[in-house]
Amino acid sequence: MQRSAQASAVSKSAGEPEAASDPNRQRRRERLLQFGTLVLLLAVWEFAARDANKLLVAVPSDIAVATWELLLNGELFWATLDSMSTFVLGFIIASVIGIVIGFAMGTNRTVEVILDPYINALYAMPLVALIPILMLWVGIGFLAKITIIILFAVFPVIINTVTGVKNVDRHYLDIGKAFMASRFMVYRQIIAPYALPYVASGLRIALGRGIIAMIVAEFLTSISGLGGLIINYTNAFETAKAFAPVLVVALLANALTVLVQKVEERFGRWRRR
Amino acid sequence: MPKLSVRNLTKRFPVSGGPSMTALDGVDLDVEEGEFIAFVGPSGCGKTTLLRIIQGLETATSGEILIDGKPVTGPGHDRGFVFQQYGLLPWLTAAQNIGFALEAKGIPPNRQGETTERVLATVGLKGFGDRFPHQLSGGMQQRVGIARALAIEPEIMLLDEPFGALDALTREILQNEMLGLTERMGKTILFVTHSVDEAVCLADRVVVMSPRPGRIREIVPIDIPRPRASLGEALRDTPEYVAKRHQLWNQLMDLV
Ligand SMILES: Nc1ncnc2c1ncn2[C@@H]1O[C@H](COP(=O)(O)OP(=O)(O)O)[C@@H](O)[C@H]1O
Ligand SMILES: [Mg+2]
Repeated sequence: MQRSAQASAVSKSAGEPEAASDPNRQRRRERLLQFGTLVLLLAVWEFAARDANKLLVAVPSDIAVATWELLLNGELFWATLDSMSTFVLGFIIASVIGIVIGFAMGTNRTVEVILDPYINALYAMPLVALIPILMLWVGIGFLAKITIIILFAVFPVIINTVTGVKNVDRHYLDIGKAFMASRFMVYRQIIAPYALPYVASGLRIALGRGIIAMIVAEFLTSISGLGGLIINYTNAFETAKAFAPVLVVALLANALTVLVQKVEERFGRWRRR
Repeated sequence: MPKLSVRNLTKRFPVSGGPSMTALDGVDLDVEEGEFIAFVGPSGCGKTTLLRIIQGLETATSGEILIDGKPVTGPGHDRGFVFQQYGLLPWLTAAQNIGFALEAKGIPPNRQGETTERVLATVGLKGFGDRFPHQLSGGMQQRVGIARALAIEPEIMLLDEPFGALDALTREILQNEMLGLTERMGKTILFVTHSVDEAVCLADRVVVMSPRPGRIREIVPIDIPRPRASLGEALRDTPEYVAKRHQLWNQLMDLV
């Protein structure tokens, strides 16, 4: 069956519809496999944890009910809004700062030599260690959360931008030089497009680190947002409810990653064959 | 006064942990206005380096370049460069690549469209302005490169093996187009090639260069009357073509 379908696709020169249906069916089968595994996993969890202490372990059905409850009373919505507004603002600021500093370091050797050791050291160190000291300076409110998110997110953006900017192909810079493009034109039309994929992968790393920073900040500074819900419901031994914000964080992180990818694809249109 | 003079030009590249490498050694050349000069020679004899110095992409170790008697100190809109490879910005469309050169020359966006259309038509790419380089064949990409150089209306065109990476057939088609184009426009042209055939077909004079160090070995005038474009394939049957091709071939063989 499989073989005859392949054979007919090959024998017909215009056999694209048939040829295309094969990978489609393959993909459907893979999705089904993944979905089936998920259902199985949830079922095992539900079954195994049924007789466990409800204060400590929640089962999927309880989590579903709890999530629904928190959705209805708006708690989840407001917590998400709180977390996300902080996160998005922090992430945008980190991206802008990161790209500007990365560009400056990548195009100016002096700036690079001065900043490089600090950037690398801060990127490598566990920044969580700085949070208590940071709280002495910026308090425990909105400003503290934004600062922590920026601190976590900015370094991968800087480092990747520098790499992209410094890697620009000499051939492309020669075009700018030969036709006497202004420095601004070279930045905007040669260096920036070349560095874009590097910047985008920096942004993806920054996204992950920024989400972690957001949750950590909500745990450690003033307790609020999705991280706040997790802490509060865990402390109240309402474990099922604590899982709801975890679910939201997981979904948001994935959705945002896809968003960054889409933006990257939009700007990388010229690369598509 | 010659349009372009190369005076006692020497270029040495530093080599890490060794004596410097002499890419060009005392090169002298006068090019008249409207003349087509082809450079041939084994690879490594400094053809690219010479063109890059004339364009201002590279600085000479000693000697000078004069255009209309005035020393050249850097790149200029009076010269249009066509690169051998990676000559287009892949994230810009054909029209945007041409627009890039126009913008760099200070021509406002609203006056770029007309020129872009015109030069694309000149190189036979009418209607291809919206294509990205990867959507064009190698030959079409080189045409865009030539169109871009034409767009800034330079007095001198510098082409570094523009057809070097193309297949034989495309190459011959572009050679013939180049012949027609240059004979219509009468620009001063410096053209690097590793093809003797290409050099003899296109040039008024062929400069033979030798490597290590890069020097001018011989300058061979090609006296095939113009316009040659109308001759088509018959150009390659003229006695002058056959003789000069033979002569240059032997000279190059001696060098390698
Ligand atoms: N940027 C550079 N640094 C060091 N050596 C170079 C550089 N550019 C060219 N060369 C050397 O100079 C010589 C001439 O090179 P090139 O002008 O590219 O020759 P051609 O174009 O005739 O093949 C070669 O030996 C090459 O290795
Ligand atoms: Mg070369």
